[in-house]
Amino acid sequence: MVLDQDVLTVLKLLMIGESNVGKSSILLRFTEDEFHENMQSTVGMDYRTKQVTIDGNTVKLAIWDTAGQERFRTLTPSYYRDGQGAILVYDVTDRVTFMKLETWLNELNTYCNKTDIIKMVVGNKIDLPNREVSTEEGLQFARRHQTLYIESSAKTADGIKCCFEELVQKIIQTPGLWDRHTLINSYGNGNMGGVRHRGQRGIQLADDTQLHNRPSNCYCSLI
Amino acid sequence: MEDYLPNEYDVVVVGTGMTESIVAAAASRIGKKVLHLDSDEYYGGLWATFNFDGLQKWIEDLKVSKTSTKDVSEVDLESEETFLKTSNEYSTVENIEETWYISNDADLPVVSSKDTQTDSTGDGSGSGDEKSDDDKVEKKENVKQWSIDRIRKEYRKFNIDLAPKLLFARGELVELLISSNIARYAEFRAVSRVATFMDGKLTQVPCSRADVFANKTVSVVEKRMLMQLLTSCMEQGADSPEFDGFRDKTFLEYLNTKNLTPIVQHYVVQAIAMATEKTSCRDGVNRTKHFLNSLGRYGNTPFLWPMYGSGELPQCFCRLCAVFGGVYCLKRQLDGVVIHKNKCKAIISGKQKISLEHLVLGQGHLPPEVVTSEGEQRISRGIFITDRSIMQGEKENLTLLYYPPEQPDQEPVTLIELGPSTNACPQGLFMVHMTCKRTTNAKEDLAYVVNKFLKAEPLDPLAIRSSIHSHTQTVSPDKRHIQEGDQDNRGESTEESPKPQVLWSLYLNLPASDIKLNESTPSNLHLCSGPDLELDFDFAVNQAKSIFESMYPDKDFLPRAPDPEEIVLEGEEAPGPKFEGDTEAEEKQDVEKAEKED
Repeated sequence: MVLDQDVLTVLKLLMIGESNVGKSSILLRFTEDEFHENMQSTVGMDYRTKQVTIDGNTVKLAIWDTAGQERFRTLTPSYYRDGQGAILVYDVTDRVTFMKLETWLNELNTYCNKTDIIKMVVGNKIDLPNREVSTEEGLQFARRHQTLYIESSAKTADGIKCCFEELVQKIIQTPGLWDRHTLINSYGNGNMGGVRHRGQRGIQLADDTQLHNRPSNCYCSLI
Repeated sequence: MEDYLPNEYDVVVVGTGMTESIVAAAASRIGKKVLHLDSDEYYGGLWATFNFDGLQKWIEDLKVSKTSTKDVSEVDLESEETFLKTSNEYSTVENIEETWYISNDADLPVVSSKDTQTDSTGDGSGSGDEKSDDDKVEKKENVKQWSIDRIRKEYRKFNIDLAPKLLFARGELVELLISSNIARYAEFRAVSRVATFMDGKLTQVPCSRADVFANKTVSVVEKRMLMQLLTSCMEQGADSPEFDGFRDKTFLEYLNTKNLTPIVQHYVVQAIAMATEKTSCRDGVNRTKHFLNSLGRYGNTPFLWPMYGSGELPQCFCRLCAVFGGVYCLKRQLDGVVIHKNKCKAIISGKQKISLEHLVLGQGHLPPEVVTSEGEQRISRGIFITDRSIMQGEKENLTLLYYPPEQPDQEPVTLIELGPSTNACPQGLFMVHMTCKRTTNAKEDLAYVVNKFLKAEPLDPLAIRSSIHSHTQTVSPDKRHIQEGDQDNRGESTEESPKPQVLWSLYLNLPASDIKLNESTPSNLHLCSGPDLELDFDFAVNQAKSIFESMYPDKDFLPRAPDPEEIVLEGEEAPGPKFEGDTEAEEKQDVEKAEKED
């Protein structure tokens, strides 16, 4: 196992796109190598983490799912906050989900506060026979909006690993988009308790009762 | 086109303010089917935080009435059902006054064409047509200068709070965020100094050991005096015999018996307890205790500020609600509620009648029939973009200042100054928030503090652009100049660093937070108040708790949500909720399974 000190940075990735295009399935396939045929609307899917090593750099990914808030296009602005990579998913067998990508891209550009966020467009469900959107159309869209592009199947795992690897590679190659000093224990992981989290990012609150059993009081400890 | 929503819920929550969002999260967390609506297209209601552009849009939208036009006759009612139309009259924002103190880019070069650009009523965006090539050359020299255009252009870098609030490091909200595991959705900055105005200038109140050592205004004897007093507040609490003789006296009367020096007394009253002459001894002791309790946890003051503004926090609770299956729909109007045998049975929203067990309403969505008191705790707010800190330091500071009234008819003002590291504003600027109880209107209520600490005069007298949208009364622009021509400007502070120049200001009055419902209100209708006058979120958290307890007395309030690693998704059993028709709350089974493995 890689020690925390060896992790270059923590990256926040966002899953975006219409309901039922397979966002959670892609996420689960990548992080747990699992696939559930009948997975319905996203409940309990908050975010997942995974450590990956790309070009010798080990990074920790915190990949955020929409928690179903995409259904009526009500993702919170805070969802987009500090995202460094976005995965825009559509279903190749459903043209409507492809058409809606434009809206999602607009919303992403409105809310994400990092202007150089790296985007990856993913045409999912290529294992299904009734394709409605061709590879050429997908590529054209990606070219027009200067995003990365890949086709995938969460069911067969086709393209899934590649999708994340390419995205992360591009983020790492973009200076200024990530911060080497971002602490490892963000996103509720590897909590050490009473964390003081400084630098560009803010403090994350954590349970520090084990560390300080009684409330410390600066005034009282003075004399 | 209106989105079609499923028709049956355990809990319908209308409004995405702080209290509403906490209740929504708590209900969803224990497996209740929750629908969370907001008539606005943004989260937070009067608790929201906007970027500069969003704020402008919000101001514009206030002019448009959002009250439902639906008539009773259009509602499809069954026998014995009555329909109560909801109203937004209890969330009315008044006396909005926005002012620019700087120029447009086009006005910046001091050239002879100036007399053509004296429009003082427009929104400032229309005068860009006159740009010539010559102007552009000159403008390059003004790159560093802030103009209206530049602020508008960098709108994303502003996060402007309607109701800015701090968190006590050991206050209700911090504990709740940690115990519920919702803390993972938010990040904070520690307030780096608590300031107080003493002997004609601002000083930093010593909160930590390092601060006290560095503080030269307090002698060793005074430090001991301070410690003794604080220790007795801290360790004995308001019920101790120490305070027996002061049950019906004020905090100040108690302190007067302690032979404190004026400096020590000042620190305790104005900075630690944030008390006035009227504050009771009990309240004063409790406030002191609250302050001291929260020291030493994060940073060197007791306070935290949410990164990107207070408006982030309701969203954190909404996220948790959604993660546990809550359905979200913004920009969705509530037309009214359907009452059947003194119970809320359903809401009417557009063409849909949505049935429910409990209805949780933000105060902007109440039927007037259930309101008995419109409340008195109304709020005056001032928001200022400035070019420097009120108290220049070596590093960027996040400052809290409590300023007590100078005259009997004034109210104490809370001032929070935010720098770029909180994402409130871009590098080079500061954001100052002032809040007090309303007596007349925001501008008049806050004037004495604005004049004391800020330079709110136009940089170029011709450039002042004021756009006044007033719903009730208007302060005439002439009056403003009288107020601003105070002697303080020339007098005391000349040898100090100059006062911050205000580039832009916004005044507004928020509605009362203490609206009361009458006794005939259906017991399953729950009111969530708007932002209150207190510095922190305790009021909202406690209100949410009591609403939840009245709805589900035997259930845990926001138990710890599992981390994603702890959730095991089961194979062929669908983990998601059946979106329609399925009335059982079985969909939480996987999450609950995961929790058992804790």
